[in-house]
Amino acid sequence: MTPPIGRRTLAGLLALPSLARAQTAATGPIRLGTLTPLTGAGGPYGPVMAACVRAVVEQVNGAGGVLGRQVQLFSEDDQTNPEAGVRAARKLIDVDRVAAIMGTWASSVTTAVAPLCWENRVFLTTVSGADSITLLPHNGWLVRTQPNTTLQGRKFGEFAIEQGARRIFVMMPQTPFTQSQFAAMKIAAERGGGTAELLIYDATKPSLRTEVDQALRFRPDVIVAGGYTPDTSVLLRDIFRASYRGKILAFAYSVNQAMLGAIPNEVTEGVMTLAPSPAEGSGAYARVQRLANSPSPDPYTCQIYDHVTLVLMAMAKGGDATGQAVRDNVRLVSQGAGEAVDNAVDGLRAIAAGRAVNYDGASGPCDFNEVGDILDTKFRYEQVRGGSLALIRIA
Amino acid sequence: MLDSFLLEAIAQALVNGVISGTILAVPAIGFSAIFAVLNYPNFAIGALATIGAYGGWVANTVLGWPMEVSLIAAFAAAALAGVLVEWVAVRPLDKAGALMMAIASLAAAIVLENAVRFVWGNGLRGYDLPMLRDVFFGPIRVGPQQIENFGIAVGAMGGLWAFLALTPLGRAMRAVADNPDLARLRGVDPVRIAAITVAIGAGLAGMGGMLVGLDTSIDPLTGPRLVLAIFAAAVLGGLGSIPGAVVGALVIGMVEELTVLLIAPSYRSVVGFVVILMVLTVRPAGLFGARA
Repeated sequence: MTPPIGRRTLAGLLALPSLARAQTAATGPIRLGTLTPLTGAGGPYGPVMAACVRAVVEQVNGAGGVLGRQVQLFSEDDQTNPEAGVRAARKLIDVDRVAAIMGTWASSVTTAVAPLCWENRVFLTTVSGADSITLLPHNGWLVRTQPNTTLQGRKFGEFAIEQGARRIFVMMPQTPFTQSQFAAMKIAAERGGGTAELLIYDATKPSLRTEVDQALRFRPDVIVAGGYTPDTSVLLRDIFRASYRGKILAFAYSVNQAMLGAIPNEVTEGVMTLAPSPAEGSGAYARVQRLANSPSPDPYTCQIYDHVTLVLMAMAKGGDATGQAVRDNVRLVSQGAGEAVDNAVDGLRAIAAGRAVNYDGASGPCDFNEVGDILDTKFRYEQVRGGSLALIRIA
Repeated sequence: MLDSFLLEAIAQALVNGVISGTILAVPAIGFSAIFAVLNYPNFAIGALATIGAYGGWVANTVLGWPMEVSLIAAFAAAALAGVLVEWVAVRPLDKAGALMMAIASLAAAIVLENAVRFVWGNGLRGYDLPMLRDVFFGPIRVGPQQIENFGIAVGAMGGLWAFLALTPLGRAMRAVADNPDLARLRGVDPVRIAAITVAIGAGLAGMGGMLVGLDTSIDPLTGPRLVLAIFAAAVLGGLGSIPGAVVGALVIGMVEELTVLLIAPSYRSVVGFVVILMVLTVRPAGLFGARA
């Protein structure tokens, strides 16, 4: 009996999406996607990130687009959840046929989405920090603007030692970077004559009292609260209730102004935070301040501004609006000798005029090594005083 | 031999477990009551807890009502939302069976959760309450807010018991739960009883959501984070059994805390799954059978 669909027909049908992708890649608007967390733990950041990309795209379209084509943006919600992230990425790749996906936030989401991107020749830019991400066999199909977690962990450990700590207790939920970050903290702590212990907690629980009891049994002089905003707010309350009087360090992405407005000041008083610092004072940073309508845009909005700018310039440089062109040309516009530019419109104009460019971003210099990690960034150290974050230093 | 250090740690974990279990019991009772009378698992219970938490938050921080009155607002907001879910999403599917009704309640939960997000955003919200340090009873420490929450939870359960045992309406509810046909023959209006049950069940979930929020903060996922524990408590106690839900919640609360101490904190959520698996394998009717 002849099957209803022959093998060749089936192969032809299967090839249709890639044919369609190839066709739209050459004509029509250039299609780009953002995949940021509009809900879940990353919910406070994703909407602002997506809006920033939209603003850049509007500016570029207003100035004539890229390679004479308009840019069309598709924004999806990864829900800070790998499963939802994969579904959304599939939609961006298969239905919207984007050439690049920008802005994945949680490391677990990026880890899940990255293989889909490289298999479909879609370029991925991310703000996730887990070391494992750039170690994936991505073959150049992703870059990230967030320093990896080993570097962040080392900075945490060194800062704790600098605060006079000898016994550091680290409390983190299970994430792709928990182990690597703790290992880096521990090495830094031990190098400074201290010791460090890790407790991995369940971030979905409304109370962490027993976990805090475990921490206090270690007699820590510094507790590192290494979770996201919702669970860190539970943790800080329970640490306060337990009458812990030592120092607390946390990620700036969790102890943020939203958290400080939601929980009493006495709970967060004195908490010190650390975060990769945007390039304050740079031209690109000033542009993000205007686009985000904020005097201090968050680091992720600064990073995704850099993502979209780099993606568009790399397409222009390669003369082709595909993921492949971004992959092959991103380092030609991000680093090296060339005219310093801080925004897409100026960069595209320079590239169209045949000049080399070197992008200087809102999150930092945006120079990448061969696996897609940034080569340099600064860190921002702050302390909560009276319900607001006060700058200690940027270094 | 266990040293005194470990014994103290276990005692502290058990106290923590009793307190968190008592708070968990409030929405678990709501879940079980709805199951007893309407015969389907209402998975919107988590989202209803969130609605209650936000209703109470509006009453407490926007309207400036005291915490105790705000709890009534939490109950009312969730009860109203629960009845709406029942009428709009679940009831039209009652001919399609319990599974369809459960799925409808799941869908309604997603709608409610995102409605909260739409109005109040993703950020954390805190109640207008003083932050108090724990008090020590020998080596055991307990938070004043926890003691108050514990009292409120026990009070709510006592009130529900009195309502079910002593009022004609409560007796009618139990009658429908036991035998709907017989109840109908005796002149009990099942539609009215269903609406009242949903209102009470959802209201209790809302109250539970606010009690959890009082101790921590609230966000759109406050309730959904509780769903597994609520379901596990109800299954352990016996779906539809109100005393079972209380005992189930206490056991889940204590076992979760002991897991932190004796296994690893990251396995806390596994407790709910393991309990559901074990009960369904060994004693599907749960500890207290099928009905209250």
